[in-house]
Amino acid sequence: METNNVNMDDQKQDATKSPSGFSIIWREFIKDKVALISLIFLVILTTLVYGVSLFLNQEEIVRVDLFAIHEPPSEEFILGTDYGGRDVFGQLIIGTRNSLSIGILVTLATGIIGVVYGVVAGYFGGQIDNVLMRILDFFLILPMIMTVIVFVTLVPDYGVITFSFIMTMFLWMGIARLIRSRALQEKELDYIQASKTLGSSHTKIIFTQLLPNITSLIVVTMTLNLAANIGLESGLSFLGFGFPESTPSLGTLLSYARNPQTLEFRWWIWLPAAILIFVLMLAVRNVGEALKRAADARQRRG
Amino acid sequence: MAFLEVKDLKVHFPIKGGILNRTIDHVRAVDGVTFEVEQGKTYGLVGESGSGKTTTGRAVIGLNHVTSGKVFYEGTDITKKQSKTKALRKDIQMIFQDPYSSLNPRKRVLDVIAEPLRNFEKLSKQEEKKRVQELLELVGLSPEAIVKYPHEFSGGQRQRIGVARAIALRPKLIIADEPVSALDVSVQAQVLNFMQDIQQELGLTYLFISHDLGIVKHMCDDIAIMYRGRYVEQGTRDDIFNNPQHIYTKRLVSAIPDINPRNREKQFHFREEVQREFEHSYDDYFDNEGLAYGLQPISGSHYVALPEKG
Repeated sequence: METNNVNMDDQKQDATKSPSGFSIIWREFIKDKVALISLIFLVILTTLVYGVSLFLNQEEIVRVDLFAIHEPPSEEFILGTDYGGRDVFGQLIIGTRNSLSIGILVTLATGIIGVVYGVVAGYFGGQIDNVLMRILDFFLILPMIMTVIVFVTLVPDYGVITFSFIMTMFLWMGIARLIRSRALQEKELDYIQASKTLGSSHTKIIFTQLLPNITSLIVVTMTLNLAANIGLESGLSFLGFGFPESTPSLGTLLSYARNPQTLEFRWWIWLPAAILIFVLMLAVRNVGEALKRAADARQRRG
Repeated sequence: MAFLEVKDLKVHFPIKGGILNRTIDHVRAVDGVTFEVEQGKTYGLVGESGSGKTTTGRAVIGLNHVTSGKVFYEGTDITKKQSKTKALRKDIQMIFQDPYSSLNPRKRVLDVIAEPLRNFEKLSKQEEKKRVQELLELVGLSPEAIVKYPHEFSGGQRQRIGVARAIALRPKLIIADEPVSALDVSVQAQVLNFMQDIQQELGLTYLFISHDLGIVKHMCDDIAIMYRGRYVEQGTRDDIFNNPQHIYTKRLVSAIPDINPRNREKQFHFREEVQREFEHSYDDYFDNEGLAYGLQPISGSHYVALPEKG
């Protein structure tokens, strides 16, 4: 902790000399208006969704009300109701929260597993790398959709946690491979070799030398993965392998559009969710791209 | 018992290929190298690129896997894993060739130089800062530099940060792997003279790896010439520069540029002559594979790679 304090003090003194990581990112966002708007949109949406959903009662919203089936938007139901008489607006808010939670949870879980796995494989190399990568190959060839279907059938209590788990199982390999290839490259550089001759332990080298030099890659990949994961969750739910109707998500709302009647005449059920998925993924992607450019001096605009 | 003794050191890298990624052959980067270094002296390792001089240095400090052979440091074999103790790590340090990649770009100079201190000495924040500032002054940088990042320095300054890091623990042996090859000539002299100064001050021993004969002549007491992983000639500075025996050494020595323009004509003819001799007697000095022979003693300190019959 003490080191951190010292570094913080130094950073203040030195702020004019070498721009810190945050000021580089900030400059990039100032230059790229689309990314800035995306970021603001994301922040507002996230606070709104998580804030409002605190006041909403999920059980009440998903309770079937046969007297209010397929109501078009009105004052009582801002976005109308679905075939079970459930308030679409409430479902949209809770659904966005669930989708975002899944996205963030899966991204974090895959990120942590992938980084640890990739760094260990890449840094130690040799036989360790060989064994770890063969295990990874095994996970890569598992058929995802099929396993998810089996999993959904087997697990009775299907919620955010279990769904995150099954998605994480199939999504950590990409980031692990990426990090491994970077770690392989990075460990050959002289500063890592120098650290060895200076008597630093492997753990110390990994945490103080290797990881700081690949953080930008980790941050960028995880942001871009977040967009992909939200999309994937919606896709699975749309196909009916995601959440049950008692746990609304953007995907379950969208899946009502599988009914041709709903698709043609009851736009209020699926269109808001579709637009939200589209805009959300686009915004996360824009932010991710801006971060990616900030991490690479040659691509920077700011 | 010599300070540093290397016995028949071999470092081979496998070449993989064919079906099933088998090991087809080996690159014999270092192929049977033997030498001794006395304490307080500078031992120069010279050769063209790819001759295995850097690999030798890295094998001595343990960054490369040693295929066979032994490295004795003050009598203990340091190629074995269990003998790589903390004290040993402290005693042997390395100056890296490339001042750009050998400093972590994400760390401030304070953290870079303090890294060995943090590993071996328990110092308070204040003491540590003071030590780093002393070291910076020793290498001729301003003490304010501790808050800067490596990229804010020039190549020469970065190399000096590398030197400061290497001497932070007061080691006994420093492996200097082409410490000035990446620097401007003007800065080379600064760094080299500085290295000589601290050698006297701290009683350091250098294993000096270089391809620049001028620098080696300036720095080293004993010199070895390497070619394709083997020694070609070994001897004192005098032996090598005034009495080169092997045709390869002669060629190298003749290639040292002479500043005096009046000698240009003479140098030119001398080089042509050496070149003719090289072409003419190549087979006398190298075996069928183009490798050097084993070393034969010429005098007490002077060894040359010649065929058995002499």
